Amino acid sequence: MGVDEKKVEHFIYTEALYMDENRYDEWFALWAQDLLYWVPANIDDADPATHVQIIYDDRPTLEDRIERLKGGVAHAQDPKSRMRRLISNIEVEVEANGDVQVASNFNLTEIRHGKQDTFAGRTFHHLRPDGDSFKMVSKKVLLVNNDEVIDNLTFLI
Amino acid sequence: MATTKPGVDYSYLVQEDKVHGSVFTSQDIYEEELERIFKRMWVYVGHASEIPQPGDYRVTWIGDESVIMTRDEDDQIHLLANRCRHRGSAVCQYEAGNASYFRCPYHGWTYSNDGSLTGVSFPSGYDERFRKEEYGLSKLPRMGSYRGFIFGSLSPTGVSLDEHLGDRVKEMIDLFVDLSPVGEIEVRAGVHKNGYHANWKFVGMDGYHGNFVHQSISLDRAARQGQRPPTHPDRSLNLTRSLGNGHVMLDSRKSRGGRLSNRRVAEWPEDYVRELERVRGKERAAELMQAHGDPHMGIYPNLQLIDVHIRVTRPIGPAETEVFMYPVLLKGVPPEVNAARLRHHEWFYGPAGMGSPDDNEVFERNQMGLTANVDPWIILARGLHREQTDTDGTIISNHTDELTQRHQIFRWRDEMLQG
Repeated sequence: MGVDEKKVEHFIYTEALYMDENRYDEWFALWAQDLLYWVPANIDDADPATHVQIIYDDRPTLEDRIERLKGGVAHAQDPKSRMRRLISNIEVEVEANGDVQVASNFNLTEIRHGKQDTFAGRTFHHLRPDGDSFKMVSKKVLLVNNDEVIDNLTFLI
Repeated sequence: MATTKPGVDYSYLVQEDKVHGSVFTSQDIYEEELERIFKRMWVYVGHASEIPQPGDYRVTWIGDESVIMTRDEDDQIHLLANRCRHRGSAVCQYEAGNASYFRCPYHGWTYSNDGSLTGVSFPSGYDERFRKEEYGLSKLPRMGSYRGFIFGSLSPTGVSLDEHLGDRVKEMIDLFVDLSPVGEIEVRAGVHKNGYHANWKFVGMDGYHGNFVHQSISLDRAARQGQRPPTHPDRSLNLTRSLGNGHVMLDSRKSRGGRLSNRRVAEWPEDYVRELERVRGKERAAELMQAHGDPHMGIYPNLQLIDVHIRVTRPIGPAETEVFMYPVLLKGVPPEVNAARLRHHEWFYGPAGMGSPDDNEVFERNQMGLTANVDPWIILARGLHREQTDTDGTIISNHTDELTQRHQIFRWRDEMLQG
C-alpha cells in the first residue's frame, strides 16, 4: 500500500508551524486519542519502566501541559519563546495496516529573554490516516543534547 | 571580624531578618564561598548504588573540583581527584563507566581504580628517587557515608559527617530510603540536568512560593476538573522545620495524602503494602506511605531529598547554576511502583516539567532584580515572631514562613565567618 509522501511532508510541516507559533490548540488537535509524546533523557533508547524521560506524556498529561501553557501564568513561557525550525532528511515507511512511520531531522532556533538557543534532533512520528490527513499516535524526539544541561524546554518540541 | 577579604563583613551582610543582595551577586563573595563552603564542609558527591560493581566509577564535583568516585576490586569506594599527578590532565573524561584503570591521555601514566599509580611510560627517565607509591591519584582528605549517600570533604579537619548531619537529618534520610521494603534505593534511573542563570543559593526551601510560582498547574488543572484549587495556605498541617546546622525541611509528611503518584497508578499495590507492613510494622509503614517517603529536605550545602528524587546543586558562577535531579528507584518493590514514581517525577520536574522551569525562571528574575541596588536588602523576616521549638528540639514555624531560608543563610554566614 502506498502513501502520498507529499501529504506526509505537508503534515509534518504543519505540525512544525503550529509548534513554532505556539498554536497549542491546533497542535493538540493533531493527536490521536491514545497518544504518546516522548522525549528521552540521557540516552535515546532508555526504558521508561526504569529510566526517567524528559517528556513521557499520555493524553491526560499532555492535556495538563497544554492547559498550563495556555493559562497565562506559566512563567517559563512568559514571554513565549520565538521559534523557527527546519525539517529535513524525511523518510517515510508505510505499514501493512496503512499507518505511516516518519523519521525526520529538525534544527530549531529559539529565542527568549535575549538568549538564543539551538536545538536539533531526529523525530519519529507514528501517523494514522484520518480522513484526508493524519493523526499523531506517537512522537518520539531524540534530542542531540538530551544528556546535556537544558535550561528551559517548555515550548513544543 | 574574621574575614580574609577586608571590607566584607558577613555579619553585616546576613542579619536576623534580612540579607544583603551582594551575597547573591558578588564575584568576590562567590570565590570565597567556594573555598569556605564547598572546600571545607561535607559535600554530597554521589550514591553508592551508582557504582554497584567493582570497577564502576562516576565523575562528580565538589564545588569547581572534578572528583572520581570509584569502587575497586575489593569493593572499597574511593574519592579521587580527577587529575594526573604528572602534568595535571583529567584522567577520566566520561561521566560514568567501568574501568580497572585510568590512563592519562597526555603521557600515558596509568592508575588503578583505587588510585595507585601502576605504570609510568618510559620509566628509565626517572631514577630510584622516583617512588610510584607517592604518585597515586590524590585521595580526598575525608570521605563519609550514610545509607549509601557519600559525602566528601576537601578539608582534612572539621566536624565528622555524623555531627554535620545529626540524628534529625538521618531520620529523614531513613524516611526516604525505608519506603523500600529491603531498605535500599537505586540511583540508576538517569538524571534531569537543569541549568539556570542565577545564584546557587536560590535553590532554597521555600513554602511561600507555591501558590505563585506554580500557579499555572494548581489553578488550571483544578479548575478544569471542577475542583477547588489546591493551595499552600499560611496555616495548614504543613510546617517549615529547621533540623540544625543549616539543614531544613518543608515538612508536609502529614498532608501528602499517601498516594503513590499524582499520575496513572495512584494506589500502592497490595502486595507492596503487605510486605512493607511485615518488615516495618503497620504504624511505620503507614507513616512512610503517608509521607510518600518524601522528607522535602535540604542538607546543607548541596543536597536535597525532594519527592522521589535526589537533587544536587552545583555552583558554576555567582549567576550560573546547575541542578541535577536523580529520581530514585526503590529496591524490592513491584516494577509498577518504580514506573509510577518516574512518571510522577517527570510531570513536575526537569527541563520540560510543569514546575522546575518556573522555579528557574523566577531565580533568573531574582538575579535581574538584584542588579537594582537602591535598596540592596532582601527581607527574610516572615514568621520571625512565631518560631517554636518542637518536642524533638527542632524549630518549626508555619509552612509559608521564611524559617528555612533564614537557617540556611545563617549556616552560610557562620561558615564564611570562620577564619
